Amino acid sequence: MTLTHLLLVAAALFAIGLFGMLARRHAIGVLLSIELMFNAVNLAIVSIAWSRGLATGVVLVLFGIAITVAEAAIGLALVLLVTRVRKTAVLDDLHDLSG
Amino acid sequence: MRTTAFWLLIAVLLGGALLVVTSRSLFRAAYALAATLLATAGLYALLSAPLLAAVQVILYTGGILTLTVFALVVAGDETGGVRWRRPLPAAALSVAVLAALAAAVRTARTERTPGGPDSGAAAGAALFGDYLVPFELLSVLLLGAVFGALLLARRDDPA
Amino acid sequence: MTLALIVLAGPLIVFAAIACLPPLRRSGRPAAYVSIAGIGASCAAAMAQAAPFLRGAGIEAVRTAEVVWAPIAGAPPIRFGLLVDGLSASMAVLVALVALLVQVYSLAYMAEEKPASLGRYYAYHALFAFAMLGLVLSHNLLQTYVFWELVGLGSYLLIGFWFERPAAGRAAQKAFWTTRLGDVGFAIGIVVLWGAAGTFSFSELFARASGGALGGTALAVGVAGIYLGAMGKSAQAPFHIWLPDAMEGPTPVSALIHAATMVAAGVYLMVRIAPLLALTPQLASAVFAIGVLTAVLAASMALVENDIKRILAFSTVSQLGFMMAAVGSGGAEAAYFHLTTHAFFKALLFLAAGSLIHAVHTNDIFRMGRLARRMPVTAACFAIGALALAGVVPTSGFFSKDEILAAVLAGGHPIGFAILVAVAGMTAFYIGRAFFVALLGAHDAEDQPHESPPAMTLPMIVLGILALAGGALAPAFPRLFEATVSALPAHEASTPIFVPILGTAAAAAGLAIAWAAYQRGALDPGAVRRAAHPIVTVLERRFYVDDVFEAGYRVVYLGVSSAVGWFDRYVVDGVVNAVTWGTWILAGRLRTLQSGRVQDALYFVAGGLLLLAWLAWTG
Repeated sequence: MTLTHLLLVAAALFAIGLFGMLARRHAIGVLLSIELMFNAVNLAIVSIAWSRGLATGVVLVLFGIAITVAEAAIGLALVLLVTRVRKTAVLDDLHDLSG
Repeated sequence: MRTTAFWLLIAVLLGGALLVVTSRSLFRAAYALAATLLATAGLYALLSAPLLAAVQVILYTGGILTLTVFALVVAGDETGGVRWRRPLPAAALSVAVLAALAAAVRTARTERTPGGPDSGAAAGAALFGDYLVPFELLSVLLLGAVFGALLLARRDDPA
Repeated sequence: MTLALIVLAGPLIVFAAIACLPPLRRSGRPAAYVSIAGIGASCAAAMAQAAPFLRGAGIEAVRTAEVVWAPIAGAPPIRFGLLVDGLSASMAVLVALVALLVQVYSLAYMAEEKPASLGRYYAYHALFAFAMLGLVLSHNLLQTYVFWELVGLGSYLLIGFWFERPAAGRAAQKAFWTTRLGDVGFAIGIVVLWGAAGTFSFSELFARASGGALGGTALAVGVAGIYLGAMGKSAQAPFHIWLPDAMEGPTPVSALIHAATMVAAGVYLMVRIAPLLALTPQLASAVFAIGVLTAVLAASMALVENDIKRILAFSTVSQLGFMMAAVGSGGAEAAYFHLTTHAFFKALLFLAAGSLIHAVHTNDIFRMGRLARRMPVTAACFAIGALALAGVVPTSGFFSKDEILAAVLAGGHPIGFAILVAVAGMTAFYIGRAFFVALLGAHDAEDQPHESPPAMTLPMIVLGILALAGGALAPAFPRLFEATVSALPAHEASTPIFVPILGTAAAAAGLAIAWAAYQRGALDPGAVRRAAHPIVTVLERRFYVDDVFEAGYRVVYLGVSSAVGWFDRYVVDGVVNAVTWGTWILAGRLRTLQSGRVQDALYFVAGGLLLLAWLAWTG
């Protein structure tokens, strides 16, 4: 189990999350994919901290998780609001700011 | 023994991730995400970060995921039957990003400098020591998020 | 030089005064008096200036004065200057005198004009006089060109004086355009000569040409260009078409501009550059040939005209042809002599015709008749003018026409000589016809005409005296010519005796036929007209030259204009419109990028991320 393996796994996770973010139609599906991407980044940080013996990796990830929590809360609140107003959470149907 | 655990966890990780992006039902996607997050927690534990593992389980899996499921119940997971929009360009871009990241990863130095297992004490000392200000700011941020979410999701009832 | 300045300043100050002081202009008659005073002063100064030359002062009396006008880097500067020699001094007297007489005459002729209109008339007269005098006294080609154009402007303004009449406006434009065509050649000629010789000044050009420094193609092109300008102003065929139409202007204007001064400017210019013309014999032959052609064409067209002014206009064209023929044969002196006498008797004829027109309110000679009875002074003056035009001894016209014929013969053109003799006969015929029909004739005119007032008769009498006695000036001309920068080497002046005999015979024949046909009724003009109907039609249509010009204008000018317009609309604007259209299309396409859908924007973010990574990698 080397750093390279771990980082590749993190990269794969990130790529999968990216696909979901770009391709998913439902807003919450996009949010879930974004969580995957966050998770991948955290994994990468922890892996490097483990490989280098750094203690600050923990703190960084801790902060990241806390911020992610806040972001998820607001995001979900927004989705609920949109669903209430527009009766749909499908992002393709929400294009009022088109050119 | 350790290696097997690693590979098992990674399997769950990646499998769960794939389910998140591919399943037709968003509920199933949410549960798959839960699995992925738990697997990550396991990896953290194996990588000498038990505190993080605990935080991951509590906050991520327990907090965010529960929130998501509740939101799904209220909002519904109706997408008109179609799962994806423009899957091919998305896939192509993802593969490209993966390739770029993989190329970057190859340049990483892989010698291990072993450090001790993190202890809650050490983390606590850091949080209340070097990283005190960010910590306090974070609490402000969380407060703001609470209020924001409340305001946004409030029903406008004539009261 | 002060005299020269007075000559120029007189009309210039008058013009500035009338033009810049609206109350003066609007007052009418006071403006007229101011103008007459100005031109009178000019005339007096011109006579004082010319006196030494007429007494035989010779080349030493020639004066020049110049100031630097436009310095040029790496070349001699352009100068502005006056040249007072025998030629310019005598011409200045001619111009100023005729202008003075015409302006006095106009007091009575234009008496029915509104005061503001009269003021405008005299302003134009002052402008024209200034321009013509400036042209005459110029010491270099460029300055001559400037005044030449001013003269053209004056002519345009005066022909189109009664601008409410559409025919007058058209005539003014026709005059301007036709002379403008020639002026293009003039400008090119000036520039070519300057390019080859580095100077515009007459004396320097002559020095360089005779010294051999200026020659060949440059000289030929230059002189040809100048001749083109002279062709336009002096109505040489085919540029003669404007002169008959220019009769739309008031008759005094016709007398001044289209008999004595402006049309003479072309001949004057050619006389001025006689030394250069002498060095380009082929061009001189062309000048001669065109002159003869013009003389014949115009005289033939005068035969069928009934409008008295038109008859005189064609007569002027014909006589200008005579002058140019002399210039082209090396007889510049003879041409200038005829220019002078022609100015007197043609102006006289125009003023007399104006008197008749003023009395009976028609230009048609067949609606006049027996006017000699009612208007004896006018009739006598007209008769004198007619005899001078026909070249009957001892009028001045006889001597000058004689000299022209002699010069043509001496220049080695026997055929041209014969043609010109025949034209002399035609000239006598058509002017005799006009005289007999209008002034004698079998029937009375319609109205009750009466003799014109003294303001009109006095100038006519002065001109009549000059037309009769001008022959006495003949010996003065060689003296004048010696005292010019344009002097040519003197040639033997003995004229074979048969020349004046032939000339007189032709004149007598023409007058006799006219008398027989129109006074006695022995020949029936109507029958001749019917018999020669096709020829008469061609003459009446003026050899279709006007139609050719008109068609040329329509096809070439309007055609080119519409082509250019098409190009402007579809190519020039087309490029701009194509850019606009392209921008619209592009904008429409680009607009679709902003679909309003989040994930489409995210593609760009992800793409940007990849780009940054690649840049960082290769960076």
